[in-house]
Amino acid sequence: MPVAASAIYFLNLRGDVLINRLYRDDVGGNMVDAFRMHIMQTKELGTCPVRQIGGCSFFYMRISNVYIVIVVSSNANVACAFKFVVEAVSMFKSYFGGAFDEDAIRNNFVLIYELLDEIMDFGYPQNLSPEILKLYITQEGVRSPFSSKASDKPIPNATLQVTGAVGWRREGLVYKKNEVFLDIVESVNLLMSSKGSVLRCDVTGKILMKCFLSGMPDLKLGLNDKIGLEKESQMKSRPAKSGKTIELDDVTFHQCVNLTRFNSEKTVSFVPPDGEFELMKYRITEGVNLPFRVLPTIKELGRTRMEVNVKVKSVFGAKMFALGVVVKIPVPKQTAKTSFQVTSGRAKYNAAIDCLVWKIRKFPGQTEPTLSAEVELISTMAEKKSWTKPPIQMEFQVPMFTASGLRVRFLKVWEKSGYNTVEWVRYITKAGSYEIRC
Amino acid sequence: MAPPAQSQRSPSPSQPSGKSEVSDLKLQLRQLAGSRAPGVDDSKRELFKKVISYMTIGIDVSSLFGEMVMCSATSDIVLKKMCYLYVGNYAKVNPDLALLTINFLQRDCRDEDPMIRGLALRSLCSLRVANLVEYLVGPLGSGLKDSNSYVRMVAVMGVLKLYHISASTCIDADFPSILKHLMLHDSDTQVVANCLSALQEIWSAEASTSEEASREREALISKPVIYYLLNRIKEFSEWAQCLVLELVTKYVPSDSSEIFDIMNLLEDRLQHANGAVVLATIRVFLQLTLSMTDVHQQVYERIKAPLLTLVSSGSPEQSYAVLSHLHLLVMRAPYVFSSDYKHFYCQYNEPSYVKRLKLEMLTAVANESNTYEIVTELCEYAANVDIPIARESIRAVGKIALQQYDVNAIVDRLLQFLEMEKDYVTAEALVLVKDLLRKYPQWSHDCIAVVGNISSKNVQEPKAKAALIWMLGEYSQDMQDAPYVLESLVENWDEEHSAEVRLHLLTAVMKCFFKRPPETQSALGAALAAGIADFHQDVHDRALFYYRILRYNVSVAERVVNPPKQAVSVFADTQSSEIKDRIFDEFNSLSVLYQKPSYMFTDKEHRVPLEFADELGNLSIGEAANNVVPTQMVEENDKDLLLTTSEKEETKGSRNNGSAYTVPYDGSSTSVFASQAQIESAVSNPTLAGHSPQASFAIDDLLGLGIPATPAVPSPPQLKLNTKAALDPSTFQQKWRQLPVALSQEISVNPQGVAALTAPQALLRHMQSHSIHCIASGGQSPNFKFFFFAQKFEESSNYLVECVINTSSAKAQVKIKADDQNTSQDFSTLFESAFSKFGTS
Repeated sequence: MPVAASAIYFLNLRGDVLINRLYRDDVGGNMVDAFRMHIMQTKELGTCPVRQIGGCSFFYMRISNVYIVIVVSSNANVACAFKFVVEAVSMFKSYFGGAFDEDAIRNNFVLIYELLDEIMDFGYPQNLSPEILKLYITQEGVRSPFSSKASDKPIPNATLQVTGAVGWRREGLVYKKNEVFLDIVESVNLLMSSKGSVLRCDVTGKILMKCFLSGMPDLKLGLNDKIGLEKESQMKSRPAKSGKTIELDDVTFHQCVNLTRFNSEKTVSFVPPDGEFELMKYRITEGVNLPFRVLPTIKELGRTRMEVNVKVKSVFGAKMFALGVVVKIPVPKQTAKTSFQVTSGRAKYNAAIDCLVWKIRKFPGQTEPTLSAEVELISTMAEKKSWTKPPIQMEFQVPMFTASGLRVRFLKVWEKSGYNTVEWVRYITKAGSYEIRC
Repeated sequence: MAPPAQSQRSPSPSQPSGKSEVSDLKLQLRQLAGSRAPGVDDSKRELFKKVISYMTIGIDVSSLFGEMVMCSATSDIVLKKMCYLYVGNYAKVNPDLALLTINFLQRDCRDEDPMIRGLALRSLCSLRVANLVEYLVGPLGSGLKDSNSYVRMVAVMGVLKLYHISASTCIDADFPSILKHLMLHDSDTQVVANCLSALQEIWSAEASTSEEASREREALISKPVIYYLLNRIKEFSEWAQCLVLELVTKYVPSDSSEIFDIMNLLEDRLQHANGAVVLATIRVFLQLTLSMTDVHQQVYERIKAPLLTLVSSGSPEQSYAVLSHLHLLVMRAPYVFSSDYKHFYCQYNEPSYVKRLKLEMLTAVANESNTYEIVTELCEYAANVDIPIARESIRAVGKIALQQYDVNAIVDRLLQFLEMEKDYVTAEALVLVKDLLRKYPQWSHDCIAVVGNISSKNVQEPKAKAALIWMLGEYSQDMQDAPYVLESLVENWDEEHSAEVRLHLLTAVMKCFFKRPPETQSALGAALAAGIADFHQDVHDRALFYYRILRYNVSVAERVVNPPKQAVSVFADTQSSEIKDRIFDEFNSLSVLYQKPSYMFTDKEHRVPLEFADELGNLSIGEAANNVVPTQMVEENDKDLLLTTSEKEETKGSRNNGSAYTVPYDGSSTSVFASQAQIESAVSNPTLAGHSPQASFAIDDLLGLGIPATPAVPSPPQLKLNTKAALDPSTFQQKWRQLPVALSQEISVNPQGVAALTAPQALLRHMQSHSIHCIASGGQSPNFKFFFFAQKFEESSNYLVECVINTSSAKAQVKIKADDQNTSQDFSTLFESAFSKFGTS
């Protein structure tokens, strides 16, 4: 059995139960006490998300200031359970309008009880799709307070929609203006050694879609990935257009995508859900274009002084620019005084995280601003307690740039009424974990 | 649903204390119950919300049951839901009142709105009141035939709930066969999926008693059912797909073409966005191809990319679950991921449980081509801020060193660790260097030069100290000041709290003495004297053993304590390959995370019964007596049963190798036996036992000690106890309540006993060897409390004992109860005699 969860608890950081649901009788009511005693009040907290106490296993996850705990008594499928929690949280978020924390739970407890009943029955996951649930879970989040009418009766046919063949889209949608928004969001992960060689680098990307389309449209998406292009040129028996092609290491799709067609024709075709959803995710390790290079030199001059020089080079096109660039340069705990010189942006010392934080709001391509800082340290008695240097970390967003080089070649919409659609495509590359050792 | 948390931990002042608010609500609900004024539903909603919110924070609002039921006559679905919720929560504790709700729930089950029908049916089945099951059968039957799939979906789960309340009612109503029909014919996939879950559970539970049920269970994994489900798999929800895939793993295809068909059909599932589906698919692939070696390898290649994606996407908890599976796979096929080792580099901000698994992965995938990079990376972590991770990474370097042939670079790295002058780094590195020397004695020269520079004062951790002392003893001829370092350690004998270290110190001093007698003689004397006076049993025994063997013959002693050693080629693996195979069979479950097969943590007999512990206050169950032993026995049996002969020999071989080698090293009981055997052989061959004149001088003078005589104990009377007595906790409790106290007395505890009673387990084991078993124990120094029981030999007459020990006053209060009052005096004497030997035997 995939999960057969016996109970689910929502606790705050103190360990108070915010809400709970016991699905099965095979665990005692004192389970939450066991969790508090054996996990929350010990150093164990956070050391492992799965623990066994007295024959029951606890899976727990912290989401903002809430612990979500699933209790099972059998040999359950852990990956499924965690995925369930993640999905449930994203569903709650969509109900509460984005936030999921202690307050949101306290303000929406009746709604959560209802949802918990619908998404899981006797410990087995049921339907978790927010689109469908919203059709028949009539109480709305506190976002818009009760209107006594309108939501009293479920939309006729709602229950049919719950489990229909196209489970993710209901029929009869009408939009005046048919629009599709496509966002390609990539995050670059980098680990660079102090000598400047790339230890590890990959890109995880996702294509987010927002559809406002009438009827039951069929969509087809073409990307510049190698396999897809080759397949296409084979089928049309003409050479592929020149241009950069990329190789995706792995792709996963939203359940709406027809995977059989992807495997045979290598095209992404689907009937989209209404509204916002994640169409696909992909991963690339080869041929990644790093948007930034960081060249740090940190010199310890004696026991009380340090000299920090960091040069950041933007290696994307000169016409583009990065936004919200933050460079965090770690300094020792006993830092007393810092002085800076920057050629761009602003820098300050943040004692809470023991870092020099250098912010550049708008960072054009093909430039290389520098930061040079002098750091004075309090001399400590503990001699030789050498400082373990954490890596330099970077945050940024580069619009209209993809580190993988992925491009959308076409997006075709076909619906039997034959309306015209407007398609919007955006690209953005963000920093995942962008670490440079120094 | 059971009542929510009994009480709020520390209620904030704003929270209502309960009583007055509840009676307030009661009044208001009563007023609204009959009212038909417009807007009444809105005010009801507010009230209901309040009630539910009190219920959620743990205030008992069960007294409102009647009023809530009265107010439930409404067409407002929101109100209904809240009412169902309330009823579901309190029905179990108020079975009489629950009867009140049956009426309106049954009525709602016939409502024209399918939503209400479904909700009412779900609530009806969630009441969990055993004497109301008769009211469930009718609505469930019509629910299963409902035209609306939502109602059917709920009804199917309702059948499963009914089964758990009353299995016979469920079977008698013939629900399982209706479910089976639905499963194969319903148009709605969620109904089908729920049928599948329900049937799996019902038939698995019934299979033990009914043959028909076990046949039905087999039928679930028959070809037609599997094919029927597989052909529709794309219509199922992602969770239901997991369920179906799980079922498919149990299916045994008839030939390889069938296997390929299934794999082709499921291949696109590997691209599903839900990681759980991907993992379930991977499991199917791995299981199907187990017997086809070539294809199995291709499967590894195919699943690599999806697995790596799962590791790097999603929450840390999800990566943790996936990494555990990767670890299992990599143990079976290390080469698969060896070129992807960079995926397992740790990120600075990752939680430590993910880092730890990544370190294990790095260790496992290391091979000739990537060792250098991996070790370089691991060395980065050794300077990590997170100390446990830093330690783990040093250990990882060591493990890689022990599994590789080309270790030059690694040895250098390890020696660099020793020079880093961080206590924990030094400590870990010392342990590693020790292991390394056991495997590669040829490196001793380089290592000893560095180790010699470490001041023993900077090493505090027992394991590291033991390792250092071992090296001092083993290589005392190469280390200038080894005897003097050892001597200063012996001087601080009393401050050394770890018995392990003291044991090592004894052995090391002995070894040093054989190599450099004049310099070590005084240290040896001091060590033996301190060892014999030591209160730790093993230390005492070893010191005495050394003393006696030295007195007997020094060269024999040398051959026993410091024989020429072989390098260890393979360190013992902690887990047998059979256990690993079992875990592999349970891929995609908790077993993989716990790294043990499911029977070890789900079977009832392996669990600690929490409930009983609660009833006996804060006493913990006598684990040593009841739980742990069977587990170990099961394990042992398993190993013996499952091991093929060749492997058995292998393990034996390595065990012998290990123990011969570890005689001087760890002094486990087996090694003592081994060395005693050696003495015997030496003794039986008198020509060999020539005194070595140089070493034997004045041994007799080393010690001026007599051996402490064991105190005289009263001889036990003629009462025989059953050595394998068994009594379950509930019977014990029952008897304890029923029987009068036959005897109550105070026994004094001897000083050795007080010393040995650092933890309750010590006494448990001791008493068990006298056929007196512990059922529960608890407490902390100086107060301990035990419940013991014993059974008369070949009779089912029980003796129950409550024993409260205060170690500071060295007194024990004993209360004895017996089935057979006449023999209670005899038993008491027996108990006292057994008890008085505690700590001395």
